[in-house]
Amino acid sequence: MTTILLGPQRFTTTAQAVLRSLSVDGPVAMVNAGWEEREVDDAELDGVLDHRGFNLRLYQRAVEVLAADRALRRAVLEHRACHAELRAFYGLRLQAAWDTVLAVRRRPSRLATDDVRDGAVRSAMQALRDVDDWYAYEVARIVEGTATSDVVRSSEALARHREEVAEAIAAASVVVLAGGHVGILMETLRLLDVSVPAEKPVIAWSAGAMALCDPVVLFHDFAPQGVTAPEVHDRGLGRLRGIVPLPHARRRLALDDRERMTVFAERFPAHHLLPLDDGTVLRFEATPDRPDARVEPPEGARFIGRDGTVETWGAR
Amino acid sequence: MGCAVSARLAINRLRDRVPLDGAAVDRFVARYGSPIVEGERATFLWRGEADEVRVRHRVVGLPDPLPLSPVQGTDLWAVTTVLPEGSRVEYQVEIRRGEAYEQFNDPLNPRLAHSPLGSSSVCASRGYQVPDWVAFDPEARPGSVIEDSIRSKALRREQPIHVYLPARFNRALRYPLLVVHDGTDYLGFAAMKTVLDNLIHRLDVDPLVAVFVPPGDRLREYANHAPHARFIARELVPLLTERLPLLDAPEARCLMGSSFGGIASLSTAVRYPGYFGSLLLQSASLVFTDIGFDHGGGPAFDPVVAFVNRYRARPTAVVERIYQSCGVYEPLITPNRSMVGVFRQAGMQVRYAEARDGHNWENWRDRLGDGLSWLFPGPQKFLYE
Repeated sequence: MTTILLGPQRFTTTAQAVLRSLSVDGPVAMVNAGWEEREVDDAELDGVLDHRGFNLRLYQRAVEVLAADRALRRAVLEHRACHAELRAFYGLRLQAAWDTVLAVRRRPSRLATDDVRDGAVRSAMQALRDVDDWYAYEVARIVEGTATSDVVRSSEALARHREEVAEAIAAASVVVLAGGHVGILMETLRLLDVSVPAEKPVIAWSAGAMALCDPVVLFHDFAPQGVTAPEVHDRGLGRLRGIVPLPHARRRLALDDRERMTVFAERFPAHHLLPLDDGTVLRFEATPDRPDARVEPPEGARFIGRDGTVETWGAR
Repeated sequence: MGCAVSARLAINRLRDRVPLDGAAVDRFVARYGSPIVEGERATFLWRGEADEVRVRHRVVGLPDPLPLSPVQGTDLWAVTTVLPEGSRVEYQVEIRRGEAYEQFNDPLNPRLAHSPLGSSSVCASRGYQVPDWVAFDPEARPGSVIEDSIRSKALRREQPIHVYLPARFNRALRYPLLVVHDGTDYLGFAAMKTVLDNLIHRLDVDPLVAVFVPPGDRLREYANHAPHARFIARELVPLLTERLPLLDAPEARCLMGSSFGGIASLSTAVRYPGYFGSLLLQSASLVFTDIGFDHGGGPAFDPVVAFVNRYRARPTAVVERIYQSCGVYEPLITPNRSMVGVFRQAGMQVRYAEARDGHNWENWRDRLGDGLSWLFPGPQKFLYE
């Protein structure tokens, strides 16, 4: 299983060199549904891929199928409303739990030892993880409910598109996932039931990289409003379990705030938080023993350590 | 009109000049214009023959009118006042010749602000900046504004409306709804279409549908008026929800307004508690009395005061969130500050912002970025290009 995660491609384009390094001929399936209605403007992307690309048009397919099948459209809108409602409650609980962890950590203990304080920190952190777990469980329930609904399973238009997409992926030698709106990307991937066989090489960056892993974690420490804590959003495709990609980390994360980064890293103890900044190329080759096994970062990968600093994997 | 701070004010340096003749004043006025902002001081100038010259403004804390004094031996008049950093003041010049008074915009100041009542001159102190999302941005995809009207049984008239649809409006999606009182004025005097286009383009604000509603008899309809509330909650919003892909949930519905429009928003939410999720109140006319009946606002405020007094006696959570702002130079600052605690005590989440500005459209425009991005946070967290 070859999976390559790249840094953002806007200013430092590495996708072409990485694709050539795979030494595989044949067509490249392009997924850029995160660009939404700009999905069709893919000439530049195709150029980067040595004009071997063909666009799976997932966004456009989703628009077409939802326009053609009113019952499906109602179901998808209902799904979105349900997910949005869940996110609203999650946001309230998450922000409070996140703020609590920081507040507890910042309060010095008045006792000679830190036992009481350490216990409070551990408990607050567990409460934060519990909120994430509750949300992940509920998201999975909503997703499962929609995916197995009669409307989705009986939609002929959807079935036709799903079949076409599966055939196109089977015919591709490489699959590429670009960035954009990670929520829309996940939604179209799921609607069109996209799965990439393990043996097929995948190159992904930005939102595409996030969609490949599990969970999809949203973050922006400098957003003007809203929930400031990093948020679990969705399950992701799970090709790289145990990896949380952080595209544009330098621009979007307060990497100098060690306390904040420590809480971020400790919140996901079973995951590696990997910054994907300009020029980053991370090549994952290992095939896990089990489908649900977690992968390790490649040598030289940067990750956010438990002490809140950015470290290099394998350097210790 | 701003300039570098030196030890002495420019007007005082002029006064010391010998000889101080017309040519020196010409050069001074041409160089500085009016007002001259130096540090936290602003000097207002006027030139000509008059018996009295005054600056008229409505800044709480400064004398109004603010009299100018003649600069000895010249036809130049001047007054220097304090103007804290980040301030923005609208004013006019008033002169008296004999029994005749005349009021007009400052001829030495090209900077004007516009409102339904006309224009005023603007004095901005050091540190004040027009937010960069106010100006037209050619990169921001424009939304569209559609003129329409609906027949209102509650108001017994055809009610004109303007509906803003965001760029890339897509019927497969669902949008929150913002109901804007004094809608035509918000479009005309607060550049609200441009502001929405820009804030949505920058991902600061979620794409939303806004309906801009102009008043009929404003002072009556906006002062806690049952037919107006019924029109908004039982006619306008249901009709738009039927016609447009709107999120059909309280948290996706927001009422906003300034001054009396703030009262229209609050009173509608009070009449239909739980139907709207949020309010955006700008310099709302939240006048009340703690004792007696003299509120100082005149008869138009009587129903407002009665409403606010009743609400203060039994405050209830009618929405989830309120974004409330007020200018510190306007008389409404005290009641607005007072109501923050009342709203919070009632169980609503309140974000309160003050600005060194007055009761005017540019103040309300400048707060839109903070308010709208708090009420409708944009999708920045979702975008990873």
